[in-house]
Amino acid sequence: MSEALIDALNPALFWEYRLVLLRGLAFNAYVFFAAATVALVVGLAAALLRVNRAWPFRMLGTLHVEVFRNAPDYIMVIWVHFVLPLLLGKLIGQRIEFSPFVSAVIALGFVYSGYFAETFRAGIQSIPQGHLDAGRACGMGETAILWRIVLPQVVRRMLPEAVNQFVSLFKATTIVSLIAVPDLMYQVSMVTQQEMRPLPLYTGAAVTYFVVIYVVAGSVRGLSERWRNKIYA
Amino acid sequence: MSNWERLVWNQRGLLLQGLAVTVEICAIAFAMAIVGGLVLCLVRLHVRPLRPAAIALIEFFRATPIFVQLMWVNYVWPELFGWPNSFFTSGWVALGLQSSGYLAETFRAGIEAVPKGHREAGYSVGMSPFQVYRRIVLPETLLTVAPSIVNQFTVIVKSSTLVSVITVPDLMLQAMKLVNIWYEPIEVLTATAAIYIGVVFLVSTAGKALADFQRRRFGLNAT
Repeated sequence: MSEALIDALNPALFWEYRLVLLRGLAFNAYVFFAAATVALVVGLAAALLRVNRAWPFRMLGTLHVEVFRNAPDYIMVIWVHFVLPLLLGKLIGQRIEFSPFVSAVIALGFVYSGYFAETFRAGIQSIPQGHLDAGRACGMGETAILWRIVLPQVVRRMLPEAVNQFVSLFKATTIVSLIAVPDLMYQVSMVTQQEMRPLPLYTGAAVTYFVVIYVVAGSVRGLSERWRNKIYA
Repeated sequence: MSNWERLVWNQRGLLLQGLAVTVEICAIAFAMAIVGGLVLCLVRLHVRPLRPAAIALIEFFRATPIFVQLMWVNYVWPELFGWPNSFFTSGWVALGLQSSGYLAETFRAGIEAVPKGHREAGYSVGMSPFQVYRRIVLPETLLTVAPSIVNQFTVIVKSSTLVSVITVPDLMLQAMKLVNIWYEPIEVLTATAAIYIGVVFLVSTAGKALADFQRRRFGLNAT
């Protein structure tokens, strides 16, 4: 037991492969930033549909949110990787294939757009009607009101909730290793197959993710809190 | 014969068998998460010497991705502790650990939200600290955090798809098996995704209704 424990906490093997593993972690970051962009854009669109005055648009927005919020990340990643190219291929009558990276970004982006849509919607609906009326009274158009009055306030209000969702999204990027995107977990499993020593490698991976997520999430939360206070105060 | 009939309907036995495993592993993990979360939270609040350990555990479970934790429990724990000795056990242990971290923080928020006067009222009619906890603090906490508990259960169901990676024969694994037999993923994977979305939707809707019913019964607003 004590020998195993020392082996588990011995970082030598992890250090030996640091370059490969760091490249893997960088891939986690790429997937995260790409998927976060997709999630924010699609989420904002879905939220605007959900607060639209016409009910068919509202229904569409609600459908989007319910489907993607209730879908497990893993099955969506697999579905987008294996089924979506076939369906699109049938549609345009041509064989297409997604690279694992593209599939991962689309799947995670759409799944998290469901969560972001709800956050955006809550933010939008918390803006008092008077602010919109004031904008209209000054002769602003609907687009100008959205960009200059609604969204700046929404962003500040939804920031704490959004940070939590960014953290979840980053954690979800670990499953893209299952469709062979070469992220940290993928590299760890490759090295494990070579070295046959899962103990230090998987412990190292868990500790690495813990440190990255804990430190980055903590500092982002601190910064966003300061920024919010500065503007509100 | 359409693909839907051949690949999905005729394989319903296999898929349902997988769904049963999914339900089983989620139920065990959920029970473990509630107990584990409550223990972690109570240790954090009331056992001074163990407080740093409890905080460290909670933060570790919360800040590590579930997939990483699953791999860690599955590959490292057997060598470290000689347990768990089956993939199924690894699966529910990992799912339960992750959620117990989240639930510990939920419970703590709920316990801290119980007004001090309620506790003092209990003491003033001669209840022991244990009685105050069992009859006043915990019931109130459960009511206030009920929606978050339901939410956490849906997270467990969603994460449970990952146990197929360590060959637990859940719905996801059975679906992937079918895909690997015929190489026709469209119908099988779409049906599987639809089943998961439906199950999670049902769980969250039913759970929310139950939580709201209990809250209204005790005079709280529905969420």
